[in-house]
Amino acid sequence: MERLIVLVAALPLCSALLIQLLFHRPGWRAAQVSVTFTTLSFLAAAAVLGLALAGQGPMAITLPAAPWGSLLFDPLSALMMLVIAGISLIVHVYSVRYMAEEPGYARFFLLLDLMTAALLVMVAAGDLITLLIAWHLVGVLLYFLLGHDSRSPSAWRYSFWTLLTYRIGDLPLVLAAGLLHHAYGTWSLPELFTRISADPGTHQIAGFELLDLVGALIALAAFARSAQFLLHTWLPYTMDGPTPVSALMHAGIVNAGGFLINRFAPVFIHTGGVLHWIFLVGLVTAVIGSVLMLTQNDIKKSLGYSTMGQMGFMIMECGVGAFSLAIYHLIAHGLFKGTLFLGAGGVIHAARRDDGVPKDELYTFVVERRPARQRKPWLLMAAITLAVPVSILVAAHLLVAQDYFQKQGAIVLLFFGWVTGAQLIFATYRMRSQNLWRLVGLSVFSFAVVVLGYSLISHAFDLFLYPDPAFRQQLYAAADIDLLRFDILVAFVTAVIVLGWLLTYYAERNGSRRHRRTGRAWLVFYVLVSREFYLTDLYAALTRGLLHTATRLNVWLRWA
Amino acid sequence: MDAAFLLLAGVFLPLFPLSMLFNALLRRAHRPWLRALLLLTWPQPGLALVAAAQPPLPDWLMAWALLSSALYAFRALSLRELGLWTGFLACSLWALLWLVLARPGEVPPGLHALGLSAPLVLLTLLGTGLERRFGAAYAGLYGGLAQQLPRLAGVLVVVVLAGIAMPLFPPFFTLLSLTLATASAAPAAALALAGIWLLWSWAGARLLQGLVVGPGDSGGGPADLSPAATWAYAAALAALAGGGLYLLGGLA
Repeated sequence: MERLIVLVAALPLCSALLIQLLFHRPGWRAAQVSVTFTTLSFLAAAAVLGLALAGQGPMAITLPAAPWGSLLFDPLSALMMLVIAGISLIVHVYSVRYMAEEPGYARFFLLLDLMTAALLVMVAAGDLITLLIAWHLVGVLLYFLLGHDSRSPSAWRYSFWTLLTYRIGDLPLVLAAGLLHHAYGTWSLPELFTRISADPGTHQIAGFELLDLVGALIALAAFARSAQFLLHTWLPYTMDGPTPVSALMHAGIVNAGGFLINRFAPVFIHTGGVLHWIFLVGLVTAVIGSVLMLTQNDIKKSLGYSTMGQMGFMIMECGVGAFSLAIYHLIAHGLFKGTLFLGAGGVIHAARRDDGVPKDELYTFVVERRPARQRKPWLLMAAITLAVPVSILVAAHLLVAQDYFQKQGAIVLLFFGWVTGAQLIFATYRMRSQNLWRLVGLSVFSFAVVVLGYSLISHAFDLFLYPDPAFRQQLYAAADIDLLRFDILVAFVTAVIVLGWLLTYYAERNGSRRHRRTGRAWLVFYVLVSREFYLTDLYAALTRGLLHTATRLNVWLRWA
Repeated sequence: MDAAFLLLAGVFLPLFPLSMLFNALLRRAHRPWLRALLLLTWPQPGLALVAAAQPPLPDWLMAWALLSSALYAFRALSLRELGLWTGFLACSLWALLWLVLARPGEVPPGLHALGLSAPLVLLTLLGTGLERRFGAAYAGLYGGLAQQLPRLAGVLVVVVLAGIAMPLFPPFFTLLSLTLATASAAPAAALALAGIWLLWSWAGARLLQGLVVGPGDSGGGPADLSPAATWAYAAALAALAGGGLYLLGGLA
């Protein structure tokens, strides 16, 4: 068992060493070695997950007489190891031909292997020091992978943004580790969590509750890694790197924030308002990422902002206490986004001959933006729009857990599900269709399938990752707010959204006659969004200012 | 008496503006072995002075050390000449030895100093190699080393990473142990350390981009590092990583 876990992380490292020592010239051999070792690592990771599914209990593999270098076997590490090894294997296989004509072929596989090893150690780290080292290394290796083409200054410029943002995220984690070690006197993660649960609330630092402060620092580290708002600007601009690296980054590396919050779940159950802030940051990121995605005319930047929005949603799930759902989300998003990146080249190539888009009702509605002229009675459609998604969501969730509606976090997620479902049906009945009821029926059916699948799978993740029901309850409880305030908030947001739908409905029904002032406001908003809220300009100006100040200081002090 | 000792030690464990003496000396030292010797040994007399006198280390001295370190890290951002950059990084790194002295751990401060200095020695040797090949070791002047001299570029990248306290090298573990030790005892100092660490990363990445990135000269340029020299540098870096792991033992 121990050997198997060590093997998963050690195999990519061995591959990197072999490539460095044996293959100095570009050639297929380096790629063959790399793919073979990654395949073996994937198989070992699958065996580890098999053992975890079979009920093997958590355990730590430690180095004798060393406070670091330990690996942890638990459901979270077993699952994440398989995900990383799997995505890495796909990226390796894809790169064999994709990178064949690029300079530095062997170096690319060496870096890819090192990155795989660092990621595997990161998710399996059994102590704070190993976690810190792996966390740092991921940022450094990503810098070199993104800047693989050393002839391209723009690739390096944006990989530098990534490095700097990741460093901003590394340092809070170091501080959090220092605080935890000082308060609880151990580096070992399992030991640390045991001590925290035994004595959660007696430590204070600079007037703050220790665990609140630690939770905030860990959240900050997660925000930087998962491109949350204000720390996101690197993500859409790192498209100059090789496509396999983009795939690995969007499918695996950027998700590390969700993993980190899950790893420190025993800390977060003892924090006060930290999860609320996490929810808020995730929500803002999800909304802004989605808005920016919709307004991009560059498909790669659009994909970058799509990832940002998804990461926002993942962090938001942690903020409502649905930790295991965030893991499911990151896996699902990783597979879907990885496929998009790896398939993008082929799709673009094929689309040059034939775009393959059928000129059907959906095309008329989405691309040509021509809604149906004849409408069904609005009251009936409004009732369907509002009631059907709620019924499906409630039924699906009651199927997996009777007490589901006792959790505020679950209700928030249901609310998002309801908005999505209602938006789907709302859009459907405006489409031109020969048989509207068939279309609505199919939409409702597909929504039901998605909701049911999502509920069942996320429930299975919940049971697998956090088998203790009391702990699951604590996670949701940590994210709770005052019930009255919660109810008022939900009612208010529901009212705003329904009002928005009504306004949209009447605006389309009465034509798009807009007042001049509204039109100008939209224009200002569009400019703001198309300039990405001027954040990149602001950061660039700040950077220029700092460099200018440093130069002036050097001149003034005569370079000594 | 204590103050005089501390001031004298402040020349070797560079506190601004006493640190200007070291930079002036380094600039005047043209021979590579002399520069390497300066970089390797400069902080040791400072440590010996403090160890001999054992004066109390007041809080204001720690603040001065942190400010000096931050000042040099910040000023290194705009530097392009590798020799100057190495000197500034040295001042920024060594100033933190005051914090090591204030919180003695299992690892002797002399070893920490040696671990901080060793990557700088390698860096100054590489800088000399660049000066011999191109007439100057200046970021942004020629660039494209990765294309033109891949072995030299590879070694340079790893050495700069070692110098700016990236994982597995001794400066990383010195910084890590300092930040971990100060996080709860002196949160402001820990925050300052985090900021200094960030500035090093920024300065290092800027320097590397000016030297390594770019199309490079496709014609017959200067010769790359020989395989033997590359192996020698690799062995030195492996030894440094081993030293880093030894320092890691001190975290227990």
